[in-house]
Amino acid sequence: MIAAAPNGFLNLGSPEKPQALDAVLVAEDDPVFRHVLEYWLKKWDYRVTSVENGLDAWNILQKVDSPQMAILDWMMPAMDGVELCRQLRRHEGQRYHFVLLVTSKDDKQDVVAGLSAGADDYLTKPFNVDELRARIRTGERILHLQDALIRVHEALRFEAAHDPLTGLWNRGAILELLEREVQLHRRTGSALGLMMVDLDHFKQVNDTQGHMVGDVVLRESAHRMAASVRNYDWVGRYGGEEFLIVVPGCDAEALLASAERLRACIADPPVETTAGPVPMTLSIGIVSAMPPGPSAPNLEKLLYAADTALYKAKANGRNRVEMAGISRAAGQH
Amino acid sequence: MADQPTEWKGLDNAPLKARLTGADSIPVPKAELIPRALGPPSWSRAEVLDRLGGDEELLQELCQIFLKESPRLMEKLRQGMANGDAEAVQRAAHSLKGEVSYLAAAGATQAARHLEDMGRERDLSVVSEAIRLMERELDELRQAIEDDADGASR
Repeated sequence: MIAAAPNGFLNLGSPEKPQALDAVLVAEDDPVFRHVLEYWLKKWDYRVTSVENGLDAWNILQKVDSPQMAILDWMMPAMDGVELCRQLRRHEGQRYHFVLLVTSKDDKQDVVAGLSAGADDYLTKPFNVDELRARIRTGERILHLQDALIRVHEALRFEAAHDPLTGLWNRGAILELLEREVQLHRRTGSALGLMMVDLDHFKQVNDTQGHMVGDVVLRESAHRMAASVRNYDWVGRYGGEEFLIVVPGCDAEALLASAERLRACIADPPVETTAGPVPMTLSIGIVSAMPPGPSAPNLEKLLYAADTALYKAKANGRNRVEMAGISRAAGQH
Repeated sequence: MADQPTEWKGLDNAPLKARLTGADSIPVPKAELIPRALGPPSWSRAEVLDRLGGDEELLQELCQIFLKESPRLMEKLRQGMANGDAEAVQRAAHSLKGEVSYLAAAGATQAARHLEDMGRERDLSVVSEAIRLMERELDELRQAIEDDADGASR
């Protein structure tokens, strides 16, 4: 979706690859029932992993790529089906496991205990093949629903933190990321730079070429910005044609060089649009957070300093980079 | 696990048959086997087959596994009895009960259920009689299954 995505997209959740839902774990100590389950599941094209005790099952279920459906016998050596259920639910992450507990016909009270422990469904011995098939289908349906739910959730999480037009971090997200880096800077003294970037005369593009062309310019500029910075810098859309770039671990000199690279990559070549090439330039205000430690500038001071430097870049003729002296700015307060 | 069915299929029943009549199982008076012939059948093949969706191949495989497995479970029962370990008796009886009930063997299921109850209640006072009964039910069941397999192969 967003080729120009800078670092961090994965951290805040881009949709994961679909999980294989065709694998089933069978935990059954009795060879007759293990064979029955394996036989049918294989016939129905499931990939079957089978173990003979609860502990082996638990070890498999803890793996990130474990089968999402588990058929557990109630009575097993090492760890019984109910205890296994309990452990599984206690440690369940985002990937849900569908648990089918197999119990014997005589032990009806077990069913309640099993479902209370977190089993999704149960099967009583001696079960017939149709019953098994029906329960497995139920499980599959629930796992597919769960899978769809996770995808939607991931997509929403992504959308909540990203600007739909450019694919960059949105205002809320980039400010949050800046705050995190400011805290880190104060705590560890690691270098931190901030760029406030504005597309020069962008309003004119919108007014003369229309908003469609304006959108193309914004998207292309965003793409170039994200490609220009290091992949551990954070690029966000701050406002209409304003962008914030958080540059961790970068001293003043490197920060200035990075901003200069950014300015140059927008200035040339012009942005290709349906209305022809549109020449664009950037004004950039940068600030290097110094000194680190308790007296380090907070988020507001950094933003204010970058904004002031940006204003200076505009006043000095645009298409240029200006750096703020944060120590002086801080001293004035 | 994938190659298990083939492994079972290749089993030769002859040693098992020998063992059923041989010396290493608890001696069962021959006379006790007779009344069963006049009583209800030791298993319902039709019921099992229905449970398996009519899959004859699977039925044969399960019978082979059962013939191999049930003596092991009997051994565990006897050991449990010898050690006065009620929990071991309960476990082995539970497994046996599962298998024989799957094979629709009413008499054997009942015998296993009694043993499991004794184990659960930690009362092994009459366990040796119950094990003898279990042994007899299993012998008949195994015989019926082997007769069935012989009939099928003929």
